[in-house]
Amino acid sequence: MVALIPFPLLLGLVLLSHGARALWPIPRSLTTGSSAVKLSKTFAIHVDIAHPPQDLLDAVARSTSRLQTDKFQRLVLGGVSQDITAVHTAHEIKSLILALTASAPVRNLSEEATMAINSRSESYTLSLPTHQAQAILTANSTLGLFRGLATFEQLWYDLDGTKYLLNGPLEIADEPAFPYRGFSFDTSRNFYPVSDILRTIDAMSMVKLSILYWHIIDSQSFPLEVSELPYLSVKGAYSTNEVYSEQDVQQIVAYANARGIDVIMELDSPGHTTAISYGYPQHIACANKSPWATYASEPPAGQLRIASNATIQFAKTLFGSVSSKLHGTMTSSGGDEVNLPCWAEDKETQADLARTNITIEQALDSFIGEVQGVLKKNGKVPFIKSDMVLTHNVTVTNDTVVVVWQKSADAPAVASRNLRLIHQPSDYFYLDCGAGEWLGADILGNSWCDPFKTWQRAYSFDPLANLTEPQQHLVLGGQMPIWSEQTDPENLDPIVWPRLASGAEVFWTGATLPDGSPRLGPNTTSGTQVLARLHELRFRLVDRGVRAIALQPKWCVLRPGDCDL
Amino acid sequence: MARKLALLVAALVAVASPATALWPQPRNITTGSTALRLSPGFTISLSSIDGAPEDLVQAVTRTESYIKTDKLGRLVVGRGSSDVAAYSRAKTLSQLTLSLSHGAKVQSITTEAQKPLEERDEAYTLTVPSDGSAAKLTASSTLGLFHGLTTFGQLWYENDGTIYTMTTPVDIEDSPAYPYRGFMLDTARNFFPVSDILRTLDAMSWVKINTFHWHVVDSQSFPLEVPGFTDLAAKGAYDPTMVYTSADVQNIVAYAGARGIDVMVEIDTPGHTAVISQAHPEFVACAQATPWSTFANEPPAGQLRFADPSVTQYTTELLHAVAEMFPGTMLSTGGDELNTNCYDADAETQSLLKSTGRTLEEALDVFVQAEQKTLASVGKTPVVWEEMVLVQNVTLSSDTLVLVWISSDDVKAVAQKGFKVIHAASNFFYLDCGGGGWVGDNPQGNSWCDPFKTWQLGYTFDPLANLTTDEAKLVMGGQHLLWTEQSGPENLDPIVWPRAASSAELFWSGAGGNVTSALPRLHDVSFRMRQRGVNSINLQPLWCALRPDACDLNA
Repeated sequence: MVALIPFPLLLGLVLLSHGARALWPIPRSLTTGSSAVKLSKTFAIHVDIAHPPQDLLDAVARSTSRLQTDKFQRLVLGGVSQDITAVHTAHEIKSLILALTASAPVRNLSEEATMAINSRSESYTLSLPTHQAQAILTANSTLGLFRGLATFEQLWYDLDGTKYLLNGPLEIADEPAFPYRGFSFDTSRNFYPVSDILRTIDAMSMVKLSILYWHIIDSQSFPLEVSELPYLSVKGAYSTNEVYSEQDVQQIVAYANARGIDVIMELDSPGHTTAISYGYPQHIACANKSPWATYASEPPAGQLRIASNATIQFAKTLFGSVSSKLHGTMTSSGGDEVNLPCWAEDKETQADLARTNITIEQALDSFIGEVQGVLKKNGKVPFIKSDMVLTHNVTVTNDTVVVVWQKSADAPAVASRNLRLIHQPSDYFYLDCGAGEWLGADILGNSWCDPFKTWQRAYSFDPLANLTEPQQHLVLGGQMPIWSEQTDPENLDPIVWPRLASGAEVFWTGATLPDGSPRLGPNTTSGTQVLARLHELRFRLVDRGVRAIALQPKWCVLRPGDCDL
Repeated sequence: MARKLALLVAALVAVASPATALWPQPRNITTGSTALRLSPGFTISLSSIDGAPEDLVQAVTRTESYIKTDKLGRLVVGRGSSDVAAYSRAKTLSQLTLSLSHGAKVQSITTEAQKPLEERDEAYTLTVPSDGSAAKLTASSTLGLFHGLTTFGQLWYENDGTIYTMTTPVDIEDSPAYPYRGFMLDTARNFFPVSDILRTLDAMSWVKINTFHWHVVDSQSFPLEVPGFTDLAAKGAYDPTMVYTSADVQNIVAYAGARGIDVMVEIDTPGHTAVISQAHPEFVACAQATPWSTFANEPPAGQLRFADPSVTQYTTELLHAVAEMFPGTMLSTGGDELNTNCYDADAETQSLLKSTGRTLEEALDVFVQAEQKTLASVGKTPVVWEEMVLVQNVTLSSDTLVLVWISSDDVKAVAQKGFKVIHAASNFFYLDCGGGGWVGDNPQGNSWCDPFKTWQLGYTFDPLANLTTDEAKLVMGGQHLLWTEQSGPENLDPIVWPRAASSAELFWSGAGGNVTSALPRLHDVSFRMRQRGVNSINLQPLWCALRPDACDLNA
């Protein structure tokens, strides 16, 4: 473990009024000075590790390249020409040395990123001195080094090709408050080409997110190729061009892992499965039945026939096939929004229940047990949506992680059952809220989770609210989701960025800012504090080709605090 | 009774099975159910028009290009694969011929588009036979022909290399219900490169929007380079690269004109002018005064000292110079959200009022009249925001066009005063609503005009609600608007399209459209925009877009 040394409040105040606005998420411990530092024309990153893994070397090469190509300029009134003199005389850094602490194992970054969620080491220390030409990045793992590289890249501004900062020397000791920092991505309501997912992964890695929670299928389409059940995508995808082949999935997972991101696939079930009916109609009750509102939360209706032995076998094949091929230790079976009238009116389901003399809730319990059994067999920690536990009271394995989504106030009820949880509350984190009604023929309809969740709203989330101290260890972290009813490749970036970064800092930085003040203290979301840093991040994202939106007029960006309430 | 019912059923059938996916829906259209293929050698002929203007020639070339490159699969399950049987037996169309009606004067599209609102002729007639004989487009003006070309370009789908339509014969007689169909873009809160504006103009033209209301400057930045007043942009633009030069403006105006769009520039005065203080601090009261919320609706505060004759003189000269940059007949002097605290606290204004013995309202009246006199002298019709009529007691020329923005409920009052109205109501047409609060340090802040204005809401707006027959004649049309506190090049397309198309149809086809039959057509235009490089969003999951009505509320 790296010791986290809280540093004096005085230095913290200097930080807030001066330069180091660039870092996002803000490190747990940070000291800065007021000297200009620049990268030498011959700057290089040296990996001081015997037999360094290739994915770390690749990450270093990407960092090196971006340190050349980033064109982000300091956001300052009057322009960056005022920095010319300081840059001219700045202390020069010739190299960044990457080193693992003594006795640390040398493992692939991908391997470190996909270890069991509680056993990952993401901490690092970064020292950027003004008395020598070497900066030093140290960690206990290649994953920690990767996090440190992301920090290092965010330190610099561009001035005609020279990379500089104004707040050297810097000392950073950093590690996440929570290991689970995710983004949930729905690729079923509308499809996203692989390139969109890869770009999103790159942006996620910039803000040290650690999980891509891939809500890959749903009732509208089944874009996942499953070789054992080929008709799922052949019949259930929107088109042959809108399928993630097994090769695509492997590419995406490898790409993510090499960027410090684990992929959790969610195969939402037993609800949200209408698309299965196109290839395997025998397994779906009330498929496309109308009025949809009676049988589903949104069109089209359709759910797995959970009481059918054949369907249980089908689900086991599906989960077995997908989870056995995926790197990583976690898989989600979803479980939200099951609809009882759908099964109540389904003759096959009723016959199955009568034959075995069980209730639908018992059938549900048994179905989840079978699915969790397959996941366990394949070495996966099962994830499940909170309504399975809170509304349906199904039996889940002790290691189950519950995705709390309906509302933030549900977390204590989950914790009281001694189950681990991640936060994904619709009242703080849903990126799709506030875009109006998407159903047709509903002129005055509104977004069901209106209003829009601003970055400030998300940032104000307290992951430990209303939990007792013994319950706090159950919180693994959280994630902001995009549900894609009204999102597709045309607006993915603008809907997601930079808001998703709010969640990244909530779960990385935790309750305390590096100056010792509470993250959720007064004026937190002021333009002089968090917002100023978030503006910088947004411009950096745009500089790297991510279409992150403006949070304010540029007038405000250049005048921190002047556009506060 | 029975007969009535039968008629009603027939009407419902007609509505429920839209033969084509045209947007805006033509005023009069009949279609058949015969497929027709486009010949690989298809051409559009202008040979019957002597001296066809260059912008029409180019519009023809663009239309030919769109038809060949759109490659839009029909929005049905299977995306057109089920059409093969029908189109493989179909005749092929080799030519569309364009002609102007007898005696029509041949003028450029640009010239026609920049005429006064009431003088524009946008009507056209289009017939596409099923038998492969030439399709015909006629109009009394090149502007009408341009709109007809746009319609023709929306008829075609592609499957496996074949370009075809399923709904011939097509007979269309079309003309707009309202002469003003606009889109407003704010380029001051955040800047948009010229390329974004040009792409937006293209998309506007595809749905027959004819006015680009350019809210070019505001308190945050002054990106417009005005000859003789270049210090305003030099000191007030965000950055030297964030300026629309005179050449840029010419480019934008010409690009718009060639696409049937007039540019109505707005120099918002006397409020929303803090940025002028960068070059002329003496002209602006309460510049960047704090707390901003006392002196302005949003930061930064700052308004022209209109009680000062030298400010009036300066403003009229500026307006004169701006007017010369824009050939259209409409120019907006804004006039919204004037803050009186700002002037009450401004010693210079107070002493000027005292010395002239005028009230603030009287001084404003003098200022606005001077503005309007200047516009009249250069042949411009003045345009103002509604407060100039409903809040301020100022004298406006009777030809003034009034933009109603605060609430659609205010339309009646403006009409009662006899002014022409442009609908721009925030409760129907503001594209920025629903984006959450944007001022800092306000975690629970919400969009001031929440909720989000859906396409359905805009589409069902009644432009003539509560108006008498005479008042109804004052309604010139309307528009969607994008204020850009939370927008920039990154989200311009997805926040505007396809929603802005809903008012385009409302004001072209007239009120009373049905959202259920409109949605499949709106999906179609949105998908076609994407094929043409505009990032128009999916309004629903693709599952819904391929199954009309399946995702309706009560389906």
